[in-house]
Amino acid sequence: MNVIVNGNIFEIAPNSRIEGLLKSLDKPLNGSALAVNGEIISRTKWAEYRLCEGDNISLFQAIAGG
Amino acid sequence: MLTESEILRYSRHLLLEDVGEIGQQKLKNAKVLIIGMGGLGSPAAMYLAAAGVGTLVIADFDQLEVSNLQRQIGYQTADTGSDKVKLMKQRLNSINPEIIVRCINRKMDAEQLSLELMMVNLVLDCTDNMHSRHLINAACVQAKASLIVGAAMRFEGQLIFFDHNQSDAACYHCLFPKSEEQVLNCSNSGVIGPVVGTIGTMQALEAIKYILGLPSGIKNRLKLFDGKTLDWQTFTVTKDPNCSVCGQKK
Repeated sequence: MNVIVNGNIFEIAPNSRIEGLLKSLDKPLNGSALAVNGEIISRTKWAEYRLCEGDNISLFQAIAGG
Repeated sequence: MLTESEILRYSRHLLLEDVGEIGQQKLKNAKVLIIGMGGLGSPAAMYLAAAGVGTLVIADFDQLEVSNLQRQIGYQTADTGSDKVKLMKQRLNSINPEIIVRCINRKMDAEQLSLELMMVNLVLDCTDNMHSRHLINAACVQAKASLIVGAAMRFEGQLIFFDHNQSDAACYHCLFPKSEEQVLNCSNSGVIGPVVGTIGTMQALEAIKYILGLPSGIKNRLKLFDGKTLDWQTFTVTKDPNCSVCGQKK
């Protein structure tokens, strides 16, 4: 199935969980947050949260500067 | 009751239906703690002083450096080497002599922070590092203090309001769990001045709205600002029941 990650279409196995997607993205996750269709999914749920076809995923880092 | 000079000073507020004399009195009675007097804190403090927020407590333990001046526009080149909070207190009182400004010129631990939180209505996190952000968040959760968080780096800004008075409030740790990993800040990644100024200004706007009792557009909602496209993205943040700071299982 296809999902959108930061604007790019990405093919993943059906019923993939967030954790699986992140493994296949192979991106550093330092202080990152992740949202599915505009809702932040807390890190404690990444292992169990199942993605659906067409989900729009935003992955971004915390910034601390000020 | 507002004095005659206050009626003149705040006349553009008094014309607004959402402020008026009652709202201006609320601003006058309000006490706001602003932690960090850098690129976020200085515009936030200057706007809140100008708006007539009656008591501002400003905290920072840094001295002004010449590399701050590219974005921290409340300060002057001749003042480098001086304590930021002392410089900012002078600046705020010269903008508005009718308000009270108190300085905290040292690093606060959790204990001092919790004492300070008891004396204010609202906290603005304008700091420049993750450690302080998590310390402030935990203290605000515990004290049920309302917290407006701003951050900026490169051309990006982040803004969110946690109303810890309310039981459904998420917290900073729900959003960005504490970790030892290095995160991005202005000194390791750079920042463009107007982006950090925009976020600090938005923190002041949200503070004024909170004091007036107006609804917030960023309560449990993270705003990401892209300084290149000028787009704002919005994400809903839900309280994480498993959060080690604000959750039931803490």
